[in-house]
Amino acid sequence: MDHSAYIDAAAATLGLSLSQEQRKGVALYFGLAASMAALLQGLPLGPTDESGTVFVPVEPEVDG
Amino acid sequence: MIGATALAASVRDGSRRAADVVQQALERIAATDAKVNAFTSVLAERALKRAKIIDLHPRRERMRLAGVPFAVKNLFDIAALPTLAGSKIERDAAPAARDAVLVRRLEAEGAVLVGALNMDEYAYGFSTENTHYGATRNPHDPTRISGGSSGGSAAAVAAGQVPIALGSDTNGSIRVPASLCGTFGLKPTFGRLPRTGSYPFVASLDHLGPFARYVADLTLCYDLMQGPERHDPACAQRDIEAVSPLLDQGVGALRVAVLGGWFREMALPEALAAVDAVAQGLGTTRLIELPEVARARAAAFLITCGEGGALHLDDLKKRANDFDPMTRDRFLANALVPAAWVVQAQRTRHWFARRVARVFETVDVLIAPATPCVAPAIGTEWLEINGQRLPARASMGLLTQPISCIGLPVVTVPLWGMNPHAPQLPIGVQLIAAPWREDHCLRVAAALEAMGLCSAPVAKGF
Repeated sequence: MDHSAYIDAAAATLGLSLSQEQRKGVALYFGLAASMAALLQGLPLGPTDESGTVFVPVEPEVDG
Repeated sequence: MIGATALAASVRDGSRRAADVVQQALERIAATDAKVNAFTSVLAERALKRAKIIDLHPRRERMRLAGVPFAVKNLFDIAALPTLAGSKIERDAAPAARDAVLVRRLEAEGAVLVGALNMDEYAYGFSTENTHYGATRNPHDPTRISGGSSGGSAAAVAAGQVPIALGSDTNGSIRVPASLCGTFGLKPTFGRLPRTGSYPFVASLDHLGPFARYVADLTLCYDLMQGPERHDPACAQRDIEAVSPLLDQGVGALRVAVLGGWFREMALPEALAAVDAVAQGLGTTRLIELPEVARARAAAFLITCGEGGALHLDDLKKRANDFDPMTRDRFLANALVPAAWVVQAQRTRHWFARRVARVFETVDVLIAPATPCVAPAIGTEWLEINGQRLPARASMGLLTQPISCIGLPVVTVPLWGMNPHAPQLPIGVQLIAAPWREDHCLRVAAALEAMGLCSAPVAKGF
């Protein structure tokens, strides 16, 4: 799959200016990430399959 | 060469002076580092000052690492030095105000920090072929990689420069260099050791841990670094669960099995031979397969992309060409990864962790190779694994990444002579336990060491 349009749009949105030299490597590695993402999409997860990240509320530090 | 535990005993009883031990370590580093390029800073003045304090310290006779020299991957904060994390960019950073928590904990027990160690830039690599600071060479064959990203840590221990070193492991960065340099290495459970005062790579996956040449040293060092710390949000607020007193229990009734599927398919013959030797030594023929390992690896890969890319976005915008060419385009690509991929990866990670927890209801320790093969030559671009032509550097983490993805504790143990074409080279085996059961994998490691199956000698010529 050609990700060129996405790469250009996302880079512009983030304010990343990619040189021609960088863009070649970026396309290669973005394509690799995309193949990993495609692999993950094949795993059927339900709405209650929650994220592995859990926020820990922060209590104030109290001396003593 | 004497280990940390024995060295500390001799400083405690006064038969050695910490100042002499540290002076000898500094001389050894000076004499050998040109061959391995493990150190990026040597802290001679600080270390000798500290050693003299230890010699006169009223608690010296109770310090469990009295006078033991150690070194840390250069992503650990060292007071008054910028924390480089293998980069050129961080040379401009303000010096660290104080040492990392783990450095402070070891020094409180009498250990003496002697230097900072080379690594892949921002911990993003498995080879320590760092363009800014040079490649760290494998002490067992300087034409080969040390592994990474904690390559300097493993190489310094394997070269006998220090008996203990600290590193970090996000996707395999303790286990891969431990395997390739032939040292013991421990990646504890995610959240066990506080990361406060270390440069992050992927906060969801970053672990810190020790390297050593003896299991007792590895365990003692780990024990002394444990304990809650409130400034690392991932650090579990658990009491210290010391393993050193349990090491001599041996394997006992622990249930051990070999990991099949992915962990055998993605391994070359020397890695399989090492696993089989360990299985035979432990008397197990049981084989277990984990579900969806390739997807677990993909999840770790994408979480790494998302968090690693975002962390460096500002510098990628302002000064991308100051990144190491080995990491630059990967970080740039990672910054573009959509949130949906990363969230799906985190959900997959949790799914996998729940499935693997069920497996640990019937087994205590799982055995798998740490790397697919022995150390490749520096500059190797491609490897053939399982009939596929794969990028060599990334492939070093194929067998570690699915395990750190779910934060399991792992001890890497080194075996020798497994590759008949390179019998002088080590290869590591992962001993994997359920969360918070470092005692299980360390007990098995100690048993294998006692059998003579695993050892971590100083490299010949050092």
